[in-house]
Amino acid sequence: MRDTVVIGAGLAGLMGALALADAGHRPLLLAKGQGATHWTSGTIDVWGAADGSLREAITGLVASNPQHPYARTGFASLEAAVARFRALTEAARYPYVGSFERNVLLPTALGALRPAAFFPATMAAGDMRLPGPVLLAGFHELRDFFPPLAAANLAAQGIDARGTYLNLPPIKRKLDFNTRSFAQLFDDPAFREDVGRQLRAARGDATRIGLPAVLGLKDPLAVVGHLQQLSGAQVFEIPTLPPSMPGVRLYTIFRDALVKAGARIQIGAEVLRGAAANGKLNAVFSAAAAREQEHHASTWLLATGGIAGGGVRTDYTGAVWETALGLPLRAPTGRGEWFAPRFLNEAGHPIYQAGIATNEQLRPLDESDTVVYKNVAIAGAALAGCDPIRERCYSGMALATGWHAGQLLAGANE
Amino acid sequence: MQTINTDVLVIGGGATGVGVLRDLALRGIRAVLVEKGDLTHGTSGRYHGLLHSGGRYVVKDPQSATECAHENEVLRRIMPHCLEDTGGLFVVTPADDESYADRFVAGCRATSVPVNEISVREALRREPLLNPRISRVFEVRDGSADSFLAAHVNAEDAVRHGAQVCTYHVVKALMREGDRITGAVCENMRTGEDVHIHTSYIVNAAGAWAGKIAELAKVKVTVVPGKGTMVAMNHRVLNTVVNRCKMPADGDIIVPIRTVAVIGTTDVHVPDPDVFGIEAWEVERMLSEGEQLVPGISRARVLRAWAGVRPLYKDQDVADDRDIPRTYKLLDHETRDGVKGMISIVGGKWTTYRMMAQEAVDAVAQKLGVQAECRTHLEPLPNIGDWGQGKPVTSGQAVRPLTSTADLPPPAYFWMGEPLAHVEAADSYGNLICECELVTRDRVVQAITTGRASNIDDIRRDTRLGMGPCQGGFCTYRAVALWNEFKRGTLPAPSQAAASGGEPEPASHSVALLRHFLQERWKGLTAITWGDQLRQARLDEIIYLDTLGLDLLPAPTPTDQNAPEMVTAHPAIATEYHAM
Repeated sequence: MRDTVVIGAGLAGLMGALALADAGHRPLLLAKGQGATHWTSGTIDVWGAADGSLREAITGLVASNPQHPYARTGFASLEAAVARFRALTEAARYPYVGSFERNVLLPTALGALRPAAFFPATMAAGDMRLPGPVLLAGFHELRDFFPPLAAANLAAQGIDARGTYLNLPPIKRKLDFNTRSFAQLFDDPAFREDVGRQLRAARGDATRIGLPAVLGLKDPLAVVGHLQQLSGAQVFEIPTLPPSMPGVRLYTIFRDALVKAGARIQIGAEVLRGAAANGKLNAVFSAAAAREQEHHASTWLLATGGIAGGGVRTDYTGAVWETALGLPLRAPTGRGEWFAPRFLNEAGHPIYQAGIATNEQLRPLDESDTVVYKNVAIAGAALAGCDPIRERCYSGMALATGWHAGQLLAGANE
Repeated sequence: MQTINTDVLVIGGGATGVGVLRDLALRGIRAVLVEKGDLTHGTSGRYHGLLHSGGRYVVKDPQSATECAHENEVLRRIMPHCLEDTGGLFVVTPADDESYADRFVAGCRATSVPVNEISVREALRREPLLNPRISRVFEVRDGSADSFLAAHVNAEDAVRHGAQVCTYHVVKALMREGDRITGAVCENMRTGEDVHIHTSYIVNAAGAWAGKIAELAKVKVTVVPGKGTMVAMNHRVLNTVVNRCKMPADGDIIVPIRTVAVIGTTDVHVPDPDVFGIEAWEVERMLSEGEQLVPGISRARVLRAWAGVRPLYKDQDVADDRDIPRTYKLLDHETRDGVKGMISIVGGKWTTYRMMAQEAVDAVAQKLGVQAECRTHLEPLPNIGDWGQGKPVTSGQAVRPLTSTADLPPPAYFWMGEPLAHVEAADSYGNLICECELVTRDRVVQAITTGRASNIDDIRRDTRLGMGPCQGGFCTYRAVALWNEFKRGTLPAPSQAAASGGEPEPASHSVALLRHFLQERWKGLTAITWGDQLRQARLDEIIYLDTLGLDLLPAPTPTDQNAPEMVTAHPAIATEYHAM
C-alpha cells in the first residue's frame, strides 16, 4: 500500500506529488489523461487583475473572500510553492523568471497584452513594457500562430511591432505540421541555422523577435540562445493554440523529477469510484483494459480539475457531479443558471465555479459543512469558489493548493 | 445613392429565390436578387438537409408528396454534388400505430413515390444502431442535401448567365406608380447606402418573410412562420435517413448529413420569423423521440441546436400548423389584389424549390412576353468545390429515367469520405484550418478572395468551417487571422492578386469580427451545452481568454462596430433568441 495516491496529472496534482516526494513519500499518481498543462500557456498566472504588487493583491483577496482557494493556502504557501517550482524548473535548465512585485505584460498570438507573474526565461524578452521595436515571425505551415494579426493588434496599442512569415526550411521527412512537430524541428541545429539566417535578413531595426512557443522540447533555452546569436536580436516565445509546448515541457520536467524521486505515474487510469468506511477513503478503482484496478492508500490528493479537466461533469438534466469519488459539489442549480448571455461576460459563467468546498485543511465538505473524508485533500480547479480562467490564476492557484495539500497530507502521514 | 435597372427583381436569397434567379437568367431575362442576409440566411440554411422522397407526405399531403418525388429525381441529376445518396427508411417502432404502415404504402402508390418493403433483418444489417424492436421497414429515395452549397451553385450559375446577386441588401420600401409596383428601395447594409432598383416585375420569394414584403405593397399574404427546432448529434449514428412511419410529428426523423446526424423537428407557431428561441423542451423532445429510432442517441454529444421557420402559406383557417399543406402557391397580385408588377411564390419544400421557381418564372415570362422555356431541369449546376468525384454511383435502386433529363449523365453524388479523399489526394493535412470539417486553407482563402464571403459567418456557410465538434474553438482564430491578412493585402500568393485595394483595414475590425462571431456562436450553444460539449466550451474559454487574451484587447469602437464585415450585427438580420 502506498502512503498517498494523487488523482490528476495537471499542475496541482504534479505539485502535490512533488511536495509529497520532497517529504520522503513515494506517491502513486493516477490520471485519466494529460492535465490542463497541455492546453494552457505555461506561464504562472497568480492574479490577472493585480495592477501592482501581487503580494498585496493576494493578501487582500484572502481577507475579502474567505471562500477562495487562495484563502485556504494563504500567500505564504503560494510563495513557497512558486519557490519550489522555480527550483525544479531551474534544475531542469528551463528557468522561470518574474516576481510577485508586478505582472509583466506578454503578447499573445492575437496581440493582446496578457498579465503573468512568472514565465519561462524563453518568454522574457517579450515583456511589452520593455523598449525596442518588435518583429513577430512565424510560418504559414503553423496554423496556430498568425504574426501579422498579432503585430497589427500590438501596433494598435502603441507598440512598435510588425509581423512576417518565414519560409519553411527544407525538411527531411513528411510532417503533419503542428506545434509539436515544429518543436521537434527546432531541436535540430540545421533547421535553426536556416531560420536564424532568415531572421537576420528580416530583422530590420527590430531588437526583439517573437516566435511561436515551439522553440524545442529538449533544451529550449539553448534554442533561444542559438537563434539570438544567429539573428542578432533578442528572441522570445509567444504561446500558441493548444497543444502548448511550454505546457508539455512542464509536464515532462515534473514527470522526470517525480519518477526519479520514486513516485509512479499511471496515465490512462481514470478513477471511477472509491470505497470508504468511517469517514475515511480506503480504496479507489481505476479503469483498465480488462477490469477495474484497485488502489489502496492511507491518504489521497484529489486534483482532477473542474469542467475543463474532467473532474466535474454535467448532463442535460442539469445534474453536476464530481467524477472520481462522487464528492458533494457547490454548483448553480438548473441549466438556466449556468450561463451569462455574453460569451465574454466579465464575471464569467456560473457553472465554471462549480467545485468542491473544503475546510482550512483542504478537506472536502458536504452541504452541511461536515468533512466527508478526513484523509482526502483537494487541490486545483476541482475547488469551488473561483473561476481560475476569468481570474487569471489557473496555474498560480494550482501550484499553491497542490503544494499546500501535499504538505498537509505529508504531515498527516507522519 | 445607387440606381439599378433590371427586368425582374427577386426578393429572397433562399432556395426558391436563387432558383428563380437562375431560371430567369437561363431564359435570358435580366434579373437582380436581393437578400437581407447571406444566401440561405433564412430557412434554407436552417433545415435538417433532407432531400424528400415524398414519403413523409403520402398520407397527409399527397400533392406535396408527388411534387417531392418528381423533383427528387430532377435534383439528383442537376446537382448530385450537393446531395448524398443516403437512401431513406420509414420504420414502424413499438410506439407507432401499426395500421399506418398499410396506409403509407397505399399512399406511396397513389402519389408515385417509389417504395419497397424490406425485412427488419436487412434494415438492421444496413443500420446496426436502429431500434431492433421495429416491426416493419420501407425503403424510399430520401437523401441529404447541402443547402448552402446548393444555393451557391444556383446563384453562381445565374451570375454566369448575367444575373446579379446583392446579399446584405434589405428591402425598405416598394416603389409604386398607381396600381403598379415599379421597384424597390433597398439598403446596402454593409455601407448604409440606399439602392434604388427599378424593375418591370418583382418576384417575392422571401419565404417566411413573404408576408412582410407583401405588406410593403399593401397586400395581405398570410405566411405562418412554423418554427422547427433541430439538434445535430456529434456522431453520424446512421448512414441512411430514417423516418418514423406515422403521421408527421415532432422528432420523427434522423438525417445523416456530412459528419453529423440531425434529429428533427418541432413545429411551433411563432408570431414573427425574426424573433424566436430554442426552448429546453424542444431539445429534450428531439432527444427522447430520437431514442425511439436509435436507442442511446440521447447520450451522444449534441453539437448544436438551431431553429428555422417554415414558410407555411395559409389561405384558410386550419387548427394546427402541421395541417397546413406543404405544397406551394403562386399568387398573382394583379388578379388577386389588383396590384400589378408583383407575384409571390410561397410555401413549398426545399426539395421542390426548382419546380416552384419554374412556375413563378413561367408566369413572369408570360407577363414580359418572353418565349424561352425553362431549362433548369436540363442543365447541371456548376460544381463549385469539385465534389462528387472519384467514387462510382452506389444508389441502391436504379435511377428512374426521366424523359426530360434522360440525357444528363448518371449522378455523381457527394459522399461522406470525400473531403478526406480530397485532403489525401492533395496531401494537404498541413493546411487544415478546420480539422473537424476538413476545411483547408485553400478553401477558406477561396471563400474570402472570390469576393462573396464578407464575414466569418459567410465563410462558415461556404466551407462548413466551425461546424464540427470544437464549435470554432481552433478555426475561428485562424479564419479571422486569414481574413485580416486578406484585408491588409498580405495574404500570400496566388490569392494576393485578388486582394482588395485601398486602405489596409485596422486590426480592430478583425477583433470586432472575432468577438461578434464568438458571441453569435455562444447564443446557439447555451441551449445544448452540457457534458462533453460544456467541457469543449470551457476549452474555448481557455483558448480565447487564457491563451489569446481576447478580452484584454481594447473594446471595439463604434467605427469597428460599423465596419462592413460587421453587417451580421445589423438589426435587420440579428436573430433574437429568447433566453433558455
